[in-house]
Order: sequence, then C-alpha cells, then structure tokens
Amino acid sequence: MKTSEFIVRRILLLIPVMIGVTVFTFAIAQIIPADPAAILCGERCGLVDPVTGKTMLELQRERLGLDEPVIEQFRLYLTNLAEGDWGESTTYNRPTSDVVRDAAPVTLEMALFALLMAYPIGITLGILSAVWQDQVFDHISRFLAIAFVSLPIFWLAMMLQLVFGTGPDVGGICDPIFGTEGGCFPIYGRHDAALTYPDRSSSLCDTAITGIACYPSWYPSGGTGFHLVDSWFVTDEALDNINPEYASNYKLFDDTLVHLILPSFTLGIASAGSLLRYMRASLLEVMNEDYVRTARAKGLSESRVIIVHACRNALVPILTILGFSIGGAIGGAVLTESIFAFYGMGNVAVDAIINLDYSVLMGVTLITAIIFLMSNLIVDILYGVVDPRVRLE
Amino acid sequence: MSWEDGIEERAESLRRIRESAAQARYDFKRGWKIYRRSLLAVIGLLMVISISVVSIFADDLAVEHPGRNLQDTRDVWHIDYEPRKAAPFSDECDTRYQKVSLTTLRRWDANGTNALSPTRVADNNSFYEDILVVTEFIELQDRYGVTLASDLVTLETSNNSYFWISDELMDNNSLTQIRLIYKFENDAMHHWWLPDGYDVCIFGTNDEGQDLFSKILYGSRVSLTIGFTVATLTVIIGTIIGSISGYFGGRTDEVIMRITDIFFAVPGLILALAFVAALQAIDDFTLPLWFAFLLPLFGLCIYFRSTIFDSIMPGETSFPERNLPMRVIVVVSLVVLLALGGPWKDFFELADSSGWRIFASLVGLMIVGGIFILDRRLMDNISLDGVGSRTLNSLDWRNPYRYLTFRTLVIFIASIALFTWSGDGDNEITVIDNFDRLWKIQIALVFTGWPGYARLIRGQVLYVKEMTFVEAARSVGAPSGRIMFRHILPNAWAPLLVAFTLDIGGTILSASGLSFIGLGAEPGAAEWGKLVSDGRAHFPQDYWLVLFPGLAIAYTTLGFNLLGDGLRDVVDPKNRR
Repeated sequence: MKTSEFIVRRILLLIPVMIGVTVFTFAIAQIIPADPAAILCGERCGLVDPVTGKTMLELQRERLGLDEPVIEQFRLYLTNLAEGDWGESTTYNRPTSDVVRDAAPVTLEMALFALLMAYPIGITLGILSAVWQDQVFDHISRFLAIAFVSLPIFWLAMMLQLVFGTGPDVGGICDPIFGTEGGCFPIYGRHDAALTYPDRSSSLCDTAITGIACYPSWYPSGGTGFHLVDSWFVTDEALDNINPEYASNYKLFDDTLVHLILPSFTLGIASAGSLLRYMRASLLEVMNEDYVRTARAKGLSESRVIIVHACRNALVPILTILGFSIGGAIGGAVLTESIFAFYGMGNVAVDAIINLDYSVLMGVTLITAIIFLMSNLIVDILYGVVDPRVRLE
Repeated sequence: MSWEDGIEERAESLRRIRESAAQARYDFKRGWKIYRRSLLAVIGLLMVISISVVSIFADDLAVEHPGRNLQDTRDVWHIDYEPRKAAPFSDECDTRYQKVSLTTLRRWDANGTNALSPTRVADNNSFYEDILVVTEFIELQDRYGVTLASDLVTLETSNNSYFWISDELMDNNSLTQIRLIYKFENDAMHHWWLPDGYDVCIFGTNDEGQDLFSKILYGSRVSLTIGFTVATLTVIIGTIIGSISGYFGGRTDEVIMRITDIFFAVPGLILALAFVAALQAIDDFTLPLWFAFLLPLFGLCIYFRSTIFDSIMPGETSFPERNLPMRVIVVVSLVVLLALGGPWKDFFELADSSGWRIFASLVGLMIVGGIFILDRRLMDNISLDGVGSRTLNSLDWRNPYRYLTFRTLVIFIASIALFTWSGDGDNEITVIDNFDRLWKIQIALVFTGWPGYARLIRGQVLYVKEMTFVEAARSVGAPSGRIMFRHILPNAWAPLLVAFTLDIGGTILSASGLSFIGLGAEPGAAEWGKLVSDGRAHFPQDYWLVLFPGLAIAYTTLGFNLLGDGLRDVVDPKNRR
C-alpha cells in the first residue's frame, strides 16, 4: 500500500468514530436533567406572546428545535455543528465554539509541554533500566514507573506547589537553596497577576477601541492561544501598553514558561511512568534480535550498539503511546487546571457540569475527542512512515 | 436409577474433586514461588493486605467516628466546644476551647433547676464513653479573647471533670460568656495501639476539630468498596461483550469494536464527568421485581440445557471440569451481588428495607442455584427408592452429595423468605437504595471502563479460539455458549486477573479525582478525594489536611498496582515451566 493510500484509509476510518462521538454527546444532552429552553427564557417563560399566542417557553423550544422528533433534532445538531454553530453557553452567555476555542489551547499547551517533559525522562530512565537489567537501578526505576502512575494527580499538583511554590515558613525548599522569595515557581495562573496578557480576552487587543494591533496582520487575530508561541509575536506597540516589567517578547515568554512548569510536570509524571515501562520492555525485546547480535559481533562498542542499533528500533513502538498520552494528559488536565487556576477545557467542563450547561459539555467532549483522534491519526501516519510493515496489514 | 447405583460414580467424582484440588494447590504453590521472587510484588501484596485490614478494623483503630462534629455536641449545660484545627502532634490537639454562656447559667440559677451556686460546669461529652479529665487549666477569657484572672474559675479537686464558677463571675452582669482553655486527657481518644505519650492526633485535625487520622481510616472502606465494585462490574460487562465480539467475529465484532473506538476517543475522566452529569436527576435505581428471578432462572436454564445435552451425548467430559465454569459464574454473580451490598455493616443495617431483603433472598437463591449446578445428579435422584438411606447418606460428611438435603431445605427457606419479605416491595427491587453521588461515579466509571476489558478479552478469545481443543469441541457439535464458557474463557482468564487488579487501583484514583472535583462524595464525607478537596481551602498553610489523605490514595493505588505487576509475572507464559 502506498503511503498516500494508507493516509486516506486512516482518515476514512475516522468518520464513523466521529459520527459515533456526536451521537454520544447528543445522547448526553438528551439525558441531562436541564431544559435549555427554560434556562434561556428564565423568568419570562410564562409570558404569552400576543402575536402567536404561545408562551415564551414554547417559542424558545421551537427556536431550539426541541419540539421536533429526536431524529430530526439530531440532524439539526449535526448540521449546526457542520456550520460551526456549537450552541450557546448558558453560563458564559457566549457561543460555545468561542468558549471552547479559548479553552482548548490552554489545555493543549499544558498537555504538549507535559509530554515534552515526560518523554526525555521516561525514555532515558527506560533505556538505563533495560541496560542495567535486574540491577539496583532497574528495580528502583521500575518501582518509580509504578509509583508515578499511582500518584493521584491533584494531590501531586498540590504537593509540588507546596514544595516548589511556597516559602520555607510553609514548607517550601526553594528559598534556602536558590535564594528565591516565596518558592521557585508561581503556583497560580498562566501569567503573573500584574500582567494582562495581550490576547483575545484582553481589551488591549480590541483594535476598534484602542487602535493597537497586538499581533502582526498575518498572524491569527488575538493570537493562537498558545502563549509560548504567541509571546514571540506580540507587537512592540502592544508591549508598550502592558506592565513595563514584562515589556519584551522574551520576558513574556519567560513568564509563560515559569507558570507552565509545575502544571506540566504534574501532568507529565504519569506519562513518564508508563513510557519508562514501555521503553524498557521494547528495548529488552530488541536487544534479543539478530541485528543487535550482529552489531555486537562486529565489535562495536556497547554504547554504540544500544544507542544506534537498538534504541532506534525500540523507539518505534513508543510512538504508539504518544497518541494515548495526549488523551491521558487532557484527562488529567481536568484535575490540575483548577488547582493551578488555568482556564482550560478541564475547568470549563467542571463548570459546565456544576451549572448543567449542556452545550459547553457537549462542545468540550467533542473537542477532546477531535484532538485525541487527530493526534492518533498523526501518530498512525508517522508510524506508517517509520515502519513500512504497518502499511501492509 | 437409585442412590446405590451411583455410589461408584460418586466415589469417582470425589476422587476427581480431590485431584483437581491437588492440582489447584500445586498451581498456587508454583505461582507463589514465581510471585515471591519479586520483592516489589511482595511489598505490594502486604500493602493491599494492610489496607484491607485497616478497612475492616477501622472501628477499632479510629478514635472517633468520621461523622462526629464537635459543633453539634452540646450537653445540658449549653456548652459549646469550639472546634479547632490542629497540626499533627501539636499541643492544640489535646487543648479544648470551651464557651460557657453565663446568661444561661444565671437563668437556670434563678429558676433553681439545674445549676448549683457556685455554678458547676460539666464536661460530659455524650459521644465518649468516659468523661474526660482536665489535666491543666490554662486560661480564662471573656468572649473577645481578653484574659481574665484565672482564679475566677477553679477546678474541682475531687473530680477533675468539673469547674466551679465563682460568685464574682456569676454576679458580673457585664460578662455574658466566658471561654475556658484547658488541656485534657481522655482514654477514649487514645490510640490503644500507640505507646503512651503518643495520644495526640497523629495526622492533625480539620477545621471542624475532627481527627483526620480517623477519617482516613474510615475512608479506606469507601475507596476499597468503590474499587472492587467498579472493577468487578467492568470485568463482567467487558468479558461478556469482548467474548461475544471475539467469538462471533465478523459484523458483530466490527460493530462492537467501533463502539469501543468511540469510548476510547474521549478521555476517560471527561467521559465519566459527562456521564455523572447525565445521571444527576436520577434519585434511586430500581428494577422490576421479576428481575430478581432472572439471574437464578438464567442459571437454571443453563443447567438444564447442559443436562439435556448430557443425555444426548453422555460421557463427553466428567464432573469437576465440566462444572467449573458454572461454579465460576455462580461465584462471580455472588461477588457482584455482595459487592452491590457494599460493606457488610451497611448490608446488615439496610436489612430492614424490603428491597434489601429481596436482595438478600436473591443471594440465597443464587447459593441454591450454585448447589443445583454442582449437583448434576439432581434429575437422576428424583425417585422415592431408598429415600431413607439417601437421607442418611446426605448427612454423611464424607459423601460428596451431602448437600442434597441441605439444598432442599435452603430452597424451601429461600422461597418462603422471598415471598414473605417481598410483600411490601412495591413490585420493585431497589438495587441501590440511596442513589447518591458515590453511586453515580461508580456507574460512570463502569460505563467508561468496560471497553478496555472488551478489547483485552477479545484478543484473548481470538487467540484461544484457534487452539486444537476448541476445534475438537466444535467438531463434536458443542454449542457456542458451551465452547465459550467451558473451553475458551477458562483459558483466557490470566490477563484478565492482572487487568482486574490494576483496575482496582485505577478506579480508586479516578473515583477520588471525581470526588476531588466535587462530583463524588457528599460534603464532609470520609472519602479520600473529598478530604483532599476539603483541605484545599486551607492549603498551603495547613498542608497536612491535603498531604495525608493523598498519601492514603497513593499507598492503596500503589499497593494494587504492585500486586497486579507481580501477578503479571506469574501468569506470564514465559515463566511457565
């Protein structure tokens, strides 16, 4: 099978799953004990419209299509989704698509950065563990792998806050060692409280009012939402108007990075644990292959055999976990975001459930599914490119 | 056929039972030999055992019930104990702040009812069995915290549980309330298993003055119950769906696998969140009464089908092996029913509700069903020949069929119990009496968890299906259900056991996570995730409120994960010799 054919096939396979996910979110909205029409009309539900003779509640139901049969409602839901209308959030009084668009990059940035931290840790420990099989280091790192997966993520987040984000009077360890004040890392928010980041949510970037363009004209208006990237593109004009302490691209980036380290480390720990195990197992398997024996027989040094011959092949199966760990990290974000006061999808989802904001809940479920499926698709394709045997199945 | 005719055959089956028991013993020994090679696995096992012991003996190990709230304890003297947050091993733990309302005392005094003059204040907390003893009187304050002369109040010398309030204080009408601060000793609050001198709260107290250590001990019950219930239910559902998918293949397989794809497409926690939201309006979980008969009926159907099958094709297989899967089904159903019953204590407490009685009789019926299934000679023995000797035989403990009469007795009692107890059942069985949020997260976790098992067992079934003995069974015309339950599943359980153990840990983690968000346990409940989220309000200053409950979660999860990892080595084919 050619690579292009392979890719097309993978994409086609996604379609039924995507439809299934929409059925699923739709079903949730049907079961959820909240009448969106009643929430939208509020106190005016009982009022009667003089022209049609119907109550406001009935009119709202009609407008939302709730009086239609379920199948028709589902069709309507799908058409609206396709047109980009994801419904109206009752808690934020904004279109759901906007809420999700603001929240998704926050979580994604955190999750991707978490994987960026987890992969080197997991893979290095995994390799060392396989090389020193059944030695003390191996036992310790295998224990660590299990322990990393066993830690409750919300608790770990708070413990890291305590140890690295507080002063010595509370229990922090940073101040005496690094001479910092109040811990090495800030523990709340994406940015320093003294800084209003120039993005879509800040009034600074509303060109109609302030006349300031926060980003170059070719850049998505209001930024991508990934502040690690955005910070390098903020225009000088906008920088002049924010807190002078942060008035340079580098300082903005630095501020984002410092705020991202603890949450991402928390999220990454679990992934690092499972990566370690997979890497160890995969490398041990590869070490028994003929070509490794051949490489050794050629008289290559052990480190060269491991790094060049064994690791390269052992890393291929590791690719599969990448897709899953993105999903895991997004799931974990539900728990860490509220602790670190990040307004990403996790926080939005929890708020949506507490307020029974069904359209946001549907939106978040859908967007996480899309992200997860896309990352798996990319991983699948990469896998097909790296390991041609996959394409033959 | 009479009873005597079967004696030889019974002796034969007894021998086979002994043989299979010996085989089981051997397998266990071999497994244990592999298991104990790994130190981590042994540690994991010890951790699991220790946390189970803690959950069973929580009543004895804890110093107070987790629901106790010091703010509610008032005695006849209208004394308020001010709940204080105390750090672990701090002096605050055995110091009590007690508000005494002088106005109330004066009114009583005027009516001459309860108080004596000079007034005596009793510190008799009805929760504790013994009265606490004041060891050191520290300070007397007015309601604003201003220190007063301490000789205004004196500790009674003959009985260290009483304070005498002086006339001077009673006559001083500008004072409405005083606060006594004193250290106390109470045998009931001493951890009997700790050496003397350690009788302070070892994990500190929360802002309601509740002992955190006791709450954590009781929390183990909640977590273990959730872990076992969810893992058991997911295993059963996943196994059924996965084996259908793997065995029948083709279009069925395709559809089921696409459904699991959908489940895998949404991160588990978000899926569980959405599901909990969808369940929000449901207050109780009931099933129609006929459902109670369904499970035993199902068992009987399978049993009779197999007897009919036997009469057509006699002697295909023999007693112990043939009935093993059925026994597994019965035992698993029993475990499910008992798991639904929650901890034993609750089970017995809830026994007054009719739904639970039906449930209990259902369990009885299941036991009966189990005996039925074990006794394949039931049909042969419906004969009046030799009733006397049969009865005698059945009382003989060396006879493998001794349960014949017990069975009749149990059926009789269970049927009566079912029909008398179900009289006021409103024609419904309340499966879950109090369908609270804890139940909802359990159901949500089952709902999100089964696809993993379905895939696992599907792979196993696909693998085992190709083996020769399955081929042989199929060639003699055995029906699908029989092949599935008797030939395939018994050979595919090993990875399932590992997944089950790991899943208990995973479930405890997710459930505590959901509780942490505020979707699980009710406020103030002794659930670890909830304790962490309650402690968050005082974080990071009073970090112990977060540290210890989280450590408990980590400890339990780690234990189950290490155990599962050890079991993985045992069932690994590479380790078989």
